[in-house]
Amino acid sequence: MIRHARAIAGRRSDKYAVKPRLERWRVWFVLSCLLGLFIVLLGRSLYLQAWNEDFLQNQGDARYRRTLKLEPNRGVITDRNGEPLAISTPVQSIWLSPRSMQVLPIGQNRPKDWKQATEDELVPISVDEVKKLAAMLAISSDELLKKLNTTRKNKQGEEVKSDFLWVKRHISPADAKRVLALNVPGVYSQTEYRRYYPAGEVMAHVVGFTNLDGKGQEGFELTKDAMLAGKPGSRTVIRDRRGYIVEDVSTIVPPQEGQTLQLSIDRRIQYLAYRELKAAVDNSQAAGGAIVVLDARTGEVLAMANAPSYNPNSRAKIDPAHKRNRALTDLYEPGSTMKAITVAMALNAGKVKPSTVIQTGGGTMTIGPATIRDDHPVGAATVEHIMQKSSNVGAVKMALMMEREEMSNFFHDIGFGEKLNTGFPGESPGRVRPWKNWRPIEQATMSYGYGVSVSVMQMARAYQIFAGNGEVHPVTFTKLVAPAPGKQVISAETAAQVRKMLEMVTLPGGTATRAQVVGYRVGGKTGTAKKLVNGVYSDTARVGSFVGLAPISNPRLIVAVMIDEPSFALRYGGLVAAPVFSNVVAGSLRLLGVPPDAPTTNILLPGNGVEDVKEDA
Amino acid sequence: MRQIFYQAMSRMKPTMSSYDQALFWCVTLLLSIGLVMVYSASIAMAEVDKDTGFRSYYFLQRHAVFLLVGVLAAVAAFNVSTEKWRLWAPSLFIIGTVLLVLVLIPGIGREVNGSRRWLSLFVINLQPSELMKFFVVLYAADYTVRKAHSMDAKLGESISKVLFPMALVMAVVGALLLLEPDFGAFTVITVIAMGALFLGGFNWRVFLGLIAILGVAFVGLIASSPYRLARVLGFLDPWQDPYGKGYQLSHSLIAFGRGEWHGVGLGASVEKLSYLPEAHTDFLMAIIAEEFGFAGIAVVICLFMFLVFRAFAIGVQATKLERHWHALVAQGVGIWIGFQSFINMGVNMGLMPTKGLTLPLLSFGGSGIVANMIAIGVLMRIDYENRQLIRGYRV
Repeated sequence: MIRHARAIAGRRSDKYAVKPRLERWRVWFVLSCLLGLFIVLLGRSLYLQAWNEDFLQNQGDARYRRTLKLEPNRGVITDRNGEPLAISTPVQSIWLSPRSMQVLPIGQNRPKDWKQATEDELVPISVDEVKKLAAMLAISSDELLKKLNTTRKNKQGEEVKSDFLWVKRHISPADAKRVLALNVPGVYSQTEYRRYYPAGEVMAHVVGFTNLDGKGQEGFELTKDAMLAGKPGSRTVIRDRRGYIVEDVSTIVPPQEGQTLQLSIDRRIQYLAYRELKAAVDNSQAAGGAIVVLDARTGEVLAMANAPSYNPNSRAKIDPAHKRNRALTDLYEPGSTMKAITVAMALNAGKVKPSTVIQTGGGTMTIGPATIRDDHPVGAATVEHIMQKSSNVGAVKMALMMEREEMSNFFHDIGFGEKLNTGFPGESPGRVRPWKNWRPIEQATMSYGYGVSVSVMQMARAYQIFAGNGEVHPVTFTKLVAPAPGKQVISAETAAQVRKMLEMVTLPGGTATRAQVVGYRVGGKTGTAKKLVNGVYSDTARVGSFVGLAPISNPRLIVAVMIDEPSFALRYGGLVAAPVFSNVVAGSLRLLGVPPDAPTTNILLPGNGVEDVKEDA
Repeated sequence: MRQIFYQAMSRMKPTMSSYDQALFWCVTLLLSIGLVMVYSASIAMAEVDKDTGFRSYYFLQRHAVFLLVGVLAAVAAFNVSTEKWRLWAPSLFIIGTVLLVLVLIPGIGREVNGSRRWLSLFVINLQPSELMKFFVVLYAADYTVRKAHSMDAKLGESISKVLFPMALVMAVVGALLLLEPDFGAFTVITVIAMGALFLGGFNWRVFLGLIAILGVAFVGLIASSPYRLARVLGFLDPWQDPYGKGYQLSHSLIAFGRGEWHGVGLGASVEKLSYLPEAHTDFLMAIIAEEFGFAGIAVVICLFMFLVFRAFAIGVQATKLERHWHALVAQGVGIWIGFQSFINMGVNMGLMPTKGLTLPLLSFGGSGIVANMIAIGVLMRIDYENRQLIRGYRV
């Protein structure tokens, strides 16, 4: 060994002649230092992993743990037969983040091989790309450019661009695909659900609509929003830096899907009702109109339509007047349609019989300073006759046989001044003043429909007393398995008596011959009420209405039609509203398969030259 | 019965192997852990990277090739007599220096992320600084042995004859490294050179003085400007700017925190999903910490401790055999591997500022692996020769 070392020394030079002294303590010292450093590492690791891990894990969670909202699907709204009235369809919405983008000067383009190096690097986007994007989405490119560059002050007072911008919402998946195919970095699409209403304006006032964010705004979309919307679920996940979900870190709470809402509405009858109403409103150049079709046996609403209407599928601004659900919210003085109720009240109280003769004199009656007039004086007439000819004086005489309180109670029993409880926004309970304040003239006018305000729906509800055994069922928009218990208001006998009178109204000599239907016997009462304009009854503005039952032998439908301010020539309920009733009933009874109760040659119109009997109250 | 017992005992009695089996298995284990973890740490990143052709196995493939080349290099190094290495030491050091110059010349050196560290050699990129660490080990040992006569001379003489020339050489190499810049490699070669001098018997008072001067200078620098202190110690609190300067470190620390005792399991790291940059190179330890927890960290640290211990033990053995150069080389390799792995892990754990040093034997990187493996080959060769000499053979 020594020889060996010397050999090297001799071979190379004397430089290696002296042997170094490698002291053992130095080795141990250096080794201890190094191993000591490793011990420090172990300690530090222990601190990080077993002591400080909560803080570190929270920091990690803040970076990649996200709780996602799982959106439930909105429930479908169907008619009573399951036909869809409102369904959600997936659509795409295009969005981007202006803050993470930088619009390049005009003429400059992003390099072809551009790749985002860090998370914070701004995405360069050329003006050409913005223009292409805008063109494909049919929006103004100038406006989009402006939005991309708009800044606002944040909390720290710095000018920052907005973090999120919807470029265009609710476009078809195919369109979205084409937009994404432009390959503009930083432009994304997101699936949203858009509500689609197959029945459009026909069903608009019943179903309503949702806003862009899927919240109910009108109709049942609003009333039953919670039920339709369901409950969102949640899911806590860990995402990688590109946003992909890597794992679920807690149990997934599934969303509670929105429930299907089955309405009592019959889509076919609704179509019919809307079509006929709209035609009548158009023909008579009326301000508006409303129609309600009730199932006479259960109180279910089979149709409710208003004119004018609107298209809930269109996102254009909707005229608030068109959104008005007249059938439920608009009050009107019912006029002569009230007389059937007055007669029923008197009959039921035993004050009169159908054959009781009432002296109406020359068709005028004076109560205090006021005079009540009949257009067609009927002289001494039976109750039936008074009804058929719609005599105001006759109605007043019957009403004045009643106590004020009795009359008021009766009104409330049939639902006047009482809430409908359909849940619709803006639904009106109508107006019946407290009976203690009634003056005789007021009690008198109420008998023929002035001084009491009701909605069309309330009028239809009230007429239920004539349909069956004198009961009133609560009206409902939801399909019933069995009818809700009704409230007995008049006796079955009275009901039958009034039905007979209502049928006479539609027969020659009555005010509503145009209400007749081929193959079915019908009954109803017309109303032509003067409108209160600025506190004074107008000479020209009228509300023409008709409320009727069909078939009268065993009523299945109650139809209330109201036409607001028809042209003067068509101001009479018998002219403007009764035909709507006739057409709707004819179609509906056939749709429902109700067997005819009359020969098909039953239409009896007044002979030529004989004018229709028209009432003006 | 007794006979059988003694037979069994005698069979169990260790017979000295011709090479260091424990060291061999320690290195093999480290390399295997490295291969698995490089794949695990890079898989998600490689999958989404255009540069890798979206191949998840891109880094695995490369790392496997590097390991193969590294093992071949180690075998080759093992088969070269240490005498040859000793003869080559000065030349290798010069070659290394030339390579460090070449790397700085535009057109020859390749710039990545603002650093000129690579030479393009047709199919592979060579990182001369990695080789230089090994050459410095050889050279510093040779230098120390050569200057043995002046080691414990008077203070003035030892400084002028030993420390000063070494400092000059190291200053040149250090300057070249700092020009790249590669501050990490600079630190490592300085520590290797100083370690060799210290182990070679250089006056320890001078070291004490050097450390004192450095300490005073450091304190003075900080005292003169609190702002500088904040800069220097910024790494201690990455949570002040976790989305800017502290981004990488904060994610590394989160990885440690997520790992807890036994980790989230192999492949289950979230940090490697593009959150933690350089997960397969400088921050491999963070992924090991996340996937295997403290248990994994302890295993890796223990393996490194054992490696360092073996290197020093081999050195002590060589000293006993009066093979002083060999002893210093073995211990130099120990210092290199030990110090560099400490720095790397320390950076991962937020104990010191980011250096750009890989974890020896584990991190992805061809030059590093090959240089480490040559060093291991030489270390095993020294041990092999020790054993031969003990058995009475000549080497």
